[in-house]
Amino acid sequence: MDIDVKNLHPLEVRLLRHVDLQQDITAERIVQELEYKVGQCNQAFSWLSAKGYLVEKSRMSRIFYELTDLGREQQEKGTPAQRIFTFIKAEGAQALPELASALGLEKSEVGSAFGQLSKAGLAKMNTENKAEAVADELEGEFLVTKNLLDKGLGGELEEAMLSEPEKQAMAKMAKKRGASNSPFKVIEREEIVFNLTDEGFSAKQAVLAANITGEELGLVTSEMLSTGSWKTGSFRPYGLNAPTSRLIPGRHNPYGNYLQWVKDKLCSLGFEEFDGSLVENEFWNGDALFMPQFHSARDIHDVYYVKDPVHAKAIEEPWLSQVAATHENGWKTGSRGWRYSFDHEFTRRQVLRSQGTVLSARQLPKAKVPGKYFGVARCFRYDQVDATHGADFYQTEGIVLGDDVNLKTLLGLLKMFAEEIAGAEEVKYVPGYFPFTEPSIEVHIKHPVLGWFELGGSGIFRPEVTKALGIDVPVLAWGLGIDRMALMHLGLNDLRELFTPNIESVRTRRGN
Amino acid sequence: MPKIETTGKLFYSLLGRTLQDSELEEIFPVAKAELDGHEGDLLKIELNDTNRPDLWSAAGIARLLKAYWGVEAPLYDFFSTSEECFDSEGRELIVDASAKEVRPYSIGFAARGHVVDEDDLEALIQSQEKLCSNFGRKRKTIAMGIYRSDLIKYPVHYRGADPDATSFVPLGMDRKLTLREICTEHPKGREYGPIVSDCRVFPYLHDDNGDTLSFPPVINSDRIGAVEVGDENLFLELSGMDLRDLLLAASIMACDMSDMGFEILPVKVRFPEETEFGTEITVPYYYQEPVSCTLEQVHKTLGQKMSGEEAVASLKRMGMYAIYSDGSLFATVPEYRNDFLHPVDLVEDVMIGYGLGNFEPEMPQDFTVGRLSPAEELGRKVKDLMVGLGFQEMMYNYLGSKREYVDNMNFPQEKCIFISNPMSENYEVVRPSIIPSLLESESVSAHAPFPHKIFEVGKVAFLDSSDNSGTTTRNNVGFLASDSIMGFNDVSSLVNTLFYFLGKEYTLSALEGDGRFIEGRCAKVMLGECEVGIFGEIHPQVLANWGSTMPTIACEIDLDLVMAN
Repeated sequence: MDIDVKNLHPLEVRLLRHVDLQQDITAERIVQELEYKVGQCNQAFSWLSAKGYLVEKSRMSRIFYELTDLGREQQEKGTPAQRIFTFIKAEGAQALPELASALGLEKSEVGSAFGQLSKAGLAKMNTENKAEAVADELEGEFLVTKNLLDKGLGGELEEAMLSEPEKQAMAKMAKKRGASNSPFKVIEREEIVFNLTDEGFSAKQAVLAANITGEELGLVTSEMLSTGSWKTGSFRPYGLNAPTSRLIPGRHNPYGNYLQWVKDKLCSLGFEEFDGSLVENEFWNGDALFMPQFHSARDIHDVYYVKDPVHAKAIEEPWLSQVAATHENGWKTGSRGWRYSFDHEFTRRQVLRSQGTVLSARQLPKAKVPGKYFGVARCFRYDQVDATHGADFYQTEGIVLGDDVNLKTLLGLLKMFAEEIAGAEEVKYVPGYFPFTEPSIEVHIKHPVLGWFELGGSGIFRPEVTKALGIDVPVLAWGLGIDRMALMHLGLNDLRELFTPNIESVRTRRGN
Repeated sequence: MPKIETTGKLFYSLLGRTLQDSELEEIFPVAKAELDGHEGDLLKIELNDTNRPDLWSAAGIARLLKAYWGVEAPLYDFFSTSEECFDSEGRELIVDASAKEVRPYSIGFAARGHVVDEDDLEALIQSQEKLCSNFGRKRKTIAMGIYRSDLIKYPVHYRGADPDATSFVPLGMDRKLTLREICTEHPKGREYGPIVSDCRVFPYLHDDNGDTLSFPPVINSDRIGAVEVGDENLFLELSGMDLRDLLLAASIMACDMSDMGFEILPVKVRFPEETEFGTEITVPYYYQEPVSCTLEQVHKTLGQKMSGEEAVASLKRMGMYAIYSDGSLFATVPEYRNDFLHPVDLVEDVMIGYGLGNFEPEMPQDFTVGRLSPAEELGRKVKDLMVGLGFQEMMYNYLGSKREYVDNMNFPQEKCIFISNPMSENYEVVRPSIIPSLLESESVSAHAPFPHKIFEVGKVAFLDSSDNSGTTTRNNVGFLASDSIMGFNDVSSLVNTLFYFLGKEYTLSALEGDGRFIEGRCAKVMLGECEVGIFGEIHPQVLANWGSTMPTIACEIDLDLVMAN
């Protein structure tokens, strides 16, 4: 057996060094001989037993009796029976109630004490119904009781040491629980006798061989250092694999870290971040993106409406007029428009932002050309909340403005995202459909872990979107579905976990 | 996204060949379609283009794929135009002026020469279903009925009828009901009745004998309107609000049925007043204008040089007949399409026809400077400080319940943004503060070893009449700490440290009447005259509301205001 003496506590070391094979080892002995406290001794026994160095040889239950406060009082003043006997002996026969008031006892106490005296034939009730002493002095059990009280003053009495009459008397005076009304309290103690095992003996040999005494220096104290006392001792080596304590560090949220990483990545690719308010209006949320006002995605079942204020005060001009005209007849965008009558009240209706593209639309009127912008936008969608749908969630979106951007540069951009952000091995493009882009492209990637999946949607903003917002160059628009990658990154499979309020779950989440 | 189902038998017979699933997956993107599942002989297909209702049927997808493979497109020679009109041979549909106030338009055509089998019937019902529910906005703008032409005595009449005086036996019932009774007693009536039930008159379609065809957009009659397997003479009628949409839907159905083997028969529709295509329209009717775009636009948008002939061939693969002349492409829009709003729509068809795989990705050349927003920059600085102070960053949902944000917090409801159409009361308020989110953590984390020290840098929003929207969205930091001993001095020290490293000199002033905190143990953080945040000991009643029994402090600071002051 391998014995690592470093894993032994000084209490164990000193005990091992002190005992030998075939010896009875008890707490009593160790307390006496090594001056351990009972607690230290029990710790050492428990550790050494767990290691298999000590084995329990026998276990014996011992009963002790300890004087209570009441017992002390009775020892000093006498028991009720003693006091009654002494009193009537000295003062002559007395009625019981008078006895009670003269001795300061309860009537019931007097009753039962007199009962005992009477039963033992030491006193009797005379014809006047008064208690009268019969014997000359107390005898029998009353004496035994008195002696026990006197002996109890000197410390615990062990049952095994008592005589038979003493045992009988003690049985009437001692209680295990609720002992405050009795003169003695019963204390049960288990005494365990241990023996050193062969392994324990080997450990002892190892301790001796390593010259470890258990007196080595433990904690380095400031005092040791300032007095230099450390020079005269040696340091106890510590067990390297002792269990460590749980620390709770301050930490970033791993999902937040991931989003931060994506943002940094996009910055490094030349994108500038935009942001906006959570409450939007139908104009920016849909109209400016050339989604007709009757489009099914603008239905009450897809977008959350703000209860109050129902409408924004105004929509910015000239964008409102230009967008309205574009919807109706194409305005100057080269489009034929949706051919319907644009609703100027509906367009002011307020909603919770339902798509990140809103921020792209809002950026257009103030965008630089050439320019690249992105945003990680919290969006709200009318969806049943489950493992793949949240009431609110992040969308990562952006735009690229430039005279020379086109489908091929869009594909290049998507390829770069796929490789840089998703770590994709292969990239595939398929035609897609979005109301605000034409052409529209979906990018699918083969991820080393997730396999093929749709990374995002993209396209070139329709001229109906850009021209109406004052932009004359092509604008690439893209959105990345990074939630799936975030989940994989965090080792999760339920979107709800990303925003969990559970502290322990967030504290222990690693991320990659 | 529309999803359709079709038997492989029908789909492959329309396609003229059988394909493996892997081949379907390969070719479907041409139609912006995805194979969603394949069970037994049933193919489930999802269509992504909500602007191409012609693709929402087995026939429509097969038509495009065949064109892509170079199979010569069928001639749909049954379309009348403004110049050329087919003889309707006495089949007429007369629209009465009384319908105008409820549902102004009704059109129709007939078909014969093909015995309807089970697959056909399913396909017809599905096309009807998809067109009316997705394109026709749940029958609001388009409703369609298919009828047994043999039982009809032409002309068919469409009018607004008295809902209480008009009755017939609807499909699925065995007794006569008035139109109004149908709206409450028939399942379809309960579903679609509300589209018209507020009107004085209800749409009603009957033949010249007075026999009922249907109560559009709700339900057919149980006789003329009960098409079955074995029927071979059909009449289709579409009613709705927009004539162009109705004509397009009719064209799509006519082309699909022609592909299935029917002969399409024109019906002359007479309107009570002038429409944009006249008072009489023979349906199916073709009204599309040719579309064009310059080859230069193709080059510029796609970033790829190609010849006019290549562009024309690409369009042909998309089922488009086009010519190239004088630097421009001129294309005829197929009868079943109406999605060309702008020349870029033609460019996209060139792109798909040319093959997306034939465009080589290129990197954009323009140099631009990447930059985080100022709010993000400050947010990161604050996050680092909070982490350094031993706090765990949390991230929360922004929607919650009134109970969480208002009732539990003693927070004034008047400041909160409510949703008027919440899906559940768990998500009906935008959070006005980060503190309730942090307390929610406390309520679910009693098992997590204490101390709890958590924070979030995130957005909140609340009412603000000074803004155009009447609301404002703020970037805030909120933090919370709870432990068996935790009090005002702890939070005040944290605030002090935070502001020291933010480089801002603040003062404190008493915060009064804020039920979230213990009175006299909370403060306002002032930068000059501007209140930028609050902090204090959370009120025991608030803790009780959240089921927490640990002394708790919290603080919330408006970072936008910190930045501005």
